[in-house]
Amino acid sequence: MKKLFAMLLLAVVVISFSFAQEKVTVWGWRPQDVPLWQKVERILQSRGVKVSIDYQPFLSSEYFSKLYATLQGGSGPDIMYTGRLPKFPAFRSEIEQKYQASYPLIEGNFLLPLDGKVDFSNFPDSTMNLIRQNGTTWGVPFANQIVGIFYNTEIFEKYNLKEPSTWDELLALCDKLLKNKVTPFYVSGKDAWTLAMQNAIVSVSYPGEDWIAKLLNGETRFTDPQYVEMLTALNDLKKYYQKDFSANSLAELDMAFPMGQAAMVFDGIFGSANWLQSNPDFKFGFFPAPPKVKGVNPKVYVYMDGSLAIYAKSKHQAAALEVLKFTATPEFGKLFSEETGEMTAVKGVTMPADKPVLVECYKAAMSIASKSIYWTGGPFDMGKPTVYTILSPNMQAMYLGMLSPADFAAKIQDGVGIWYPPFKK
Amino acid sequence: MTAKVNVVHKEYAVKKHLYLLMIVPALVVYTLFAAYPFISSLSLSFFDWGGVGPKKFIGLQNYQMILHGILSQEFYRAVVHNAIYFIGTWALTIIPGLFFAFLLNSGLKGTNIFKIIFFFPNVLPIIVIGFLFSLLLNPQWGPINAFLRGIGLEALVRPWLGDVKFAFPTIIVISSWKMLGFYILVFLAAMLSVGKDQIEAARLDGASEMHIGWSIVLPHIFPTVVTLTILKFIGAFNVFDIVYAMEGTQAGPAGATDVLGTLFYRLAFGGLGSTAMGMGLGAAVVSLIFVIVFPLSILYVFILDRRMGGIE
Repeated sequence: MKKLFAMLLLAVVVISFSFAQEKVTVWGWRPQDVPLWQKVERILQSRGVKVSIDYQPFLSSEYFSKLYATLQGGSGPDIMYTGRLPKFPAFRSEIEQKYQASYPLIEGNFLLPLDGKVDFSNFPDSTMNLIRQNGTTWGVPFANQIVGIFYNTEIFEKYNLKEPSTWDELLALCDKLLKNKVTPFYVSGKDAWTLAMQNAIVSVSYPGEDWIAKLLNGETRFTDPQYVEMLTALNDLKKYYQKDFSANSLAELDMAFPMGQAAMVFDGIFGSANWLQSNPDFKFGFFPAPPKVKGVNPKVYVYMDGSLAIYAKSKHQAAALEVLKFTATPEFGKLFSEETGEMTAVKGVTMPADKPVLVECYKAAMSIASKSIYWTGGPFDMGKPTVYTILSPNMQAMYLGMLSPADFAAKIQDGVGIWYPPFKK
Repeated sequence: MTAKVNVVHKEYAVKKHLYLLMIVPALVVYTLFAAYPFISSLSLSFFDWGGVGPKKFIGLQNYQMILHGILSQEFYRAVVHNAIYFIGTWALTIIPGLFFAFLLNSGLKGTNIFKIIFFFPNVLPIIVIGFLFSLLLNPQWGPINAFLRGIGLEALVRPWLGDVKFAFPTIIVISSWKMLGFYILVFLAAMLSVGKDQIEAARLDGASEMHIGWSIVLPHIFPTVVTLTILKFIGAFNVFDIVYAMEGTQAGPAGATDVLGTLFYRLAFGGLGSTAMGMGLGAAVVSLIFVIVFPLSILYVFILDRRMGGIE
């Protein structure tokens, strides 16, 4: 009897061990990814992968400070969302060799190199360049973001408006809306980073990709008349913003726009989830910022949002690798886009047909993404201060009449000129 | 005999220094949570460090950047804002605090209800207050502008938190509203310690309530006013939460509400709208805050010492 009992007990222990899931913790800054990770867990478990995923999102403004403090303390999540490595354009590789992008997570040996462990054949080189350094790959890109002008299709149809192909057509469209007592643009002036995003959205079409390439190459400067002209055009556009826009936040934009309080917004596809939460029946469209003159192809601003990396000292590396291998597949890419309504970084994925604007944005990202960018994801992220840091408060200052477009351009040039190597020749 | 004497000496030495054992727990806590972080922060201010990974010693470069370099404009602007915050909140808490404490001390009916009303904002979390007032102050549909429009004061309607001239005064007023209850209670407690016989004697001599307040009560509670002023100065140069709650780390519009606390946060951690520039830079700002506040802290301890010495 005792023998039978012991054998039964042993059987129970062995069976329970075989069913035991290995828990993989994932840290990120995107609360909208919670359902996504739950689905990933179910899919992996259905395929016999013994893993459970504990995804913990943090406030985006606090994520990196929390992550760094934890890593510095000797522990960390098994998988972490990481930022991208800002890169010089490929044609300036000699500068990159001289001026290495500083990335504390790599220098501190906190990340596991992934070459040979994960299949990266489903990602374009241009995306992979943003998470490779010295030939080593450190993460699996999870999303590309596109930013541009989104519009209320009902308002456009009501007033028989078309997507503008030049800046003057945009102004004419705004005038028509104003005449019909419709606010052309809702702008979240209180959240200064959205004004920096606005600047970047317009820049890739006006003055345009080629001008930005010259800027990155050191052949021109921010004080160039073409750039000052763009800043002036943006400053003049503020008469089409809602009254007192300087006190409105992004949260208010996310309610006002889907409720029809304005016709257009400068935003990213990442905002669409919030709009549809405010108004599930909201119909909207997308177009890139128009160029100054006809005949010039408009461009869109696209950047890799981040990647998934494995903590070098993770105690669940094998399980974490299984998760990461799945996130590098088109199947995950499709799941990501379906769940979040945003663009996956995986190439060749068909966007969900029930999200027509996402389909349009993905097509634009694949075909007219600007090769040269200077806001987030660009080379001006590499030093101190970054263009991002200078743009945000000074866009507010320009809109409030405290700074002229010319002085604004000079401020950016003076700030970045301290460290950007092509400007120091 | 010698051994017995030694034992007696040892016991005496232990008893004489027993008090030192009593302060060890407090000393440990102070070292862990005050002294060590401060020394660590001061040390970090001489390094370039991204928050994780290797540190690079750069000497006084961080201080040079803040005091004379690319960050000097932001730094001095923040110092001025902190000074304005101190003056503004002092005027809106100390003076009304004294006034309302006098009223509550006068024995009028309903004072208990007013004590609750005055103290209630003090128990609300600052983040809740920041969020609530952001809604109340919405320029298009917020109740404050709607009320001004409703009573025919359209000219006063403005984007309070988006106006360079009004954003910081708005934050000062809201912060003072939150803190007022605390000052009223402290002043009230100080007033209650004034001898009732002195006041009765003055009344018998025909002194008015105003005269009694000015000549008897106020001099008696003056040390409390001084103490609270010093503590307010220290608090004003450490302010962060209310600005963060209402304007975020950018402390806009266009830096109009930027204080040393938000400047530190942006430099050390970044946030929406800016990239972190380094923990070393943030630590240098913190060290400079200490340099500004330290003399007042010494004065506070000196005054406290004198008062304790006076009681004895």
